Amino acid sequence: MKRFIQHQELARDSRFIRQDNTLSTAISELPDDVDTVVEVFEAFDPMIEKATRGTSAEPLYEEYGPSFALVALNDPLKPTDKAVKTRLMMRMHGIFVGELQALEGAGRSLWDFPDAPWEFKMNMARQCWDEARHVQIFEKLLDHVGAKPGMYPESTFLFECACSDDPAMRVAGVNRGLEGLACDVFRDMIRYAEEVGDEKMKQAIDFVLADELTHVRFGSEWVREFTKGDPDHYERAQEFRRRVDKQFSFGGSRSDRDDAAIPIATEVRREAGFTDQELEELSMLSAGGPSRETVKAAARILRERHKAKRAGDGASA
Amino acid sequence: MSEATRMYPGIGRDERTSFAPYSAFDIPEDLRELHGRYDVASTAKRVRNFRYTHEWMTMMMGGWLATIPELPVKTGLGKIIWESAVAADELGKRLPELRAGRNVATASQPANQGYADLIQEIASPESPDRTIEKLTGLFDVLMPHLIDVYEVTMRETDQICDAPTIELLDDATRKLRRHVAWGKEVLDRLCDTDDERERRTNRRREISEMLQACGGVCGDA
Ligand SMILES: [Fe+2]
Ligand SMILES: [Fe+2]
Repeated sequence: MKRFIQHQELARDSRFIRQDNTLSTAISELPDDVDTVVEVFEAFDPMIEKATRGTSAEPLYEEYGPSFALVALNDPLKPTDKAVKTRLMMRMHGIFVGELQALEGAGRSLWDFPDAPWEFKMNMARQCWDEARHVQIFEKLLDHVGAKPGMYPESTFLFECACSDDPAMRVAGVNRGLEGLACDVFRDMIRYAEEVGDEKMKQAIDFVLADELTHVRFGSEWVREFTKGDPDHYERAQEFRRRVDKQFSFGGSRSDRDDAAIPIATEVRREAGFTDQELEELSMLSAGGPSRETVKAAARILRERHKAKRAGDGASA
Repeated sequence: MSEATRMYPGIGRDERTSFAPYSAFDIPEDLRELHGRYDVASTAKRVRNFRYTHEWMTMMMGGWLATIPELPVKTGLGKIIWESAVAADELGKRLPELRAGRNVATASQPANQGYADLIQEIASPESPDRTIEKLTGLFDVLMPHLIDVYEVTMRETDQICDAPTIELLDDATRKLRRHVAWGKEVLDRLCDTDDERERRTNRRREISEMLQACGGVCGDA
């Protein structure tokens, strides 16, 4: 078995539909400018249409055009939102495939670094069991909210960004970048579960969050250990994590901004070994990207153009 | 010994306590004998061989997770990976107790090159259409072999002197049995055509032959 695989090699059964990661990359780099957001999404329109075909996102695409994912991603999850059920299912599905990729990332860390210290292997083996349980938990929670695996396209962006070939960067990317994002998302899901009084969801995700904190802690410890006595290497690992954090902020959707869909779980992250300086950095680098107003304006234009195009298709047919 | 420092009866040279060797509880006599097939050094060698296997099983299953498309297999392996790592860890902790040093880097050793090659061969199936080959080598051949060897070791080692090794092998064997049962169930389901059953049979034969040729986990079978 070779060492180091590409995200395209992640194996899935026939229920899953893969979405090209270039869209996630583009979203993570969007500026706060309506015209640019519209331009980017129009360029990706054919790809988005193809990825949604045959999935539960197809009617959403038909109704809202290529920006439906952007709207779903950028708005906070509110029980009063009229599209809350769909958005909850989409988010739950995103978490489910994220857990799958975290499981695969932890597993690859066991195989890719055969000379790593034994304690590292123990930590990664533990994480494999935890992530496997998380996949099982979110499979049940998907069912709980009326969704199922493969219902929406999967982007393997998380695995692609986080899985470096350097062990210090791998743990910086997977265990601090990806797992840190998981802490933010789960804190927000617990907030949502509390608001709607969903005890089952709240308790299950609270257990998962406790595990994720442990995984971030593994990352905090192993970045230091793998770079011991080599400040240059440490700085490169930190820089890699910053880049991953920027990518996983999805244009400010996950940030400290007032209009963020997913706020940064500062307390949880501090407990998991993030320093105040790192948290400040995260707050700064995640704040960029389009504001909610920009997203809404762009989504309106994209929807109108989409409707006009559909009407045109209908007329010419 | 002065009266002042005396702690309890029985501590002085000429004292006797009033306790009979076997009391009214009728404690059965220990019939075990001081006898075992392995001395300290050869026990340490076997523990290193066992640990090598568990460490590599942990690593190869971790590597496979990403290239296995069947979701219940991916998630089912998670716990087995952890339990295999725990077994390797426990075996490693036994080594300093056997005067075999505290250096983790030398804690895992294959019995011979043939066995090291076998482990790499078991790990080698890679593509997503080879779940049958991945699981067969490990769950149909290697793990049942480990169970056999652990049972022989537990039976033949010194029951009193080497009891800590027996304890940890007993634990590992119990878990291995569960893993083998899981693997068998999964493979039975995965192999539901003649063609797939033949793939399993062929893989089993191939790995069994290699295992026999190298003498197994301790190189002495
Ligand atoms: Fe997780
Ligand atoms: Fe995790």
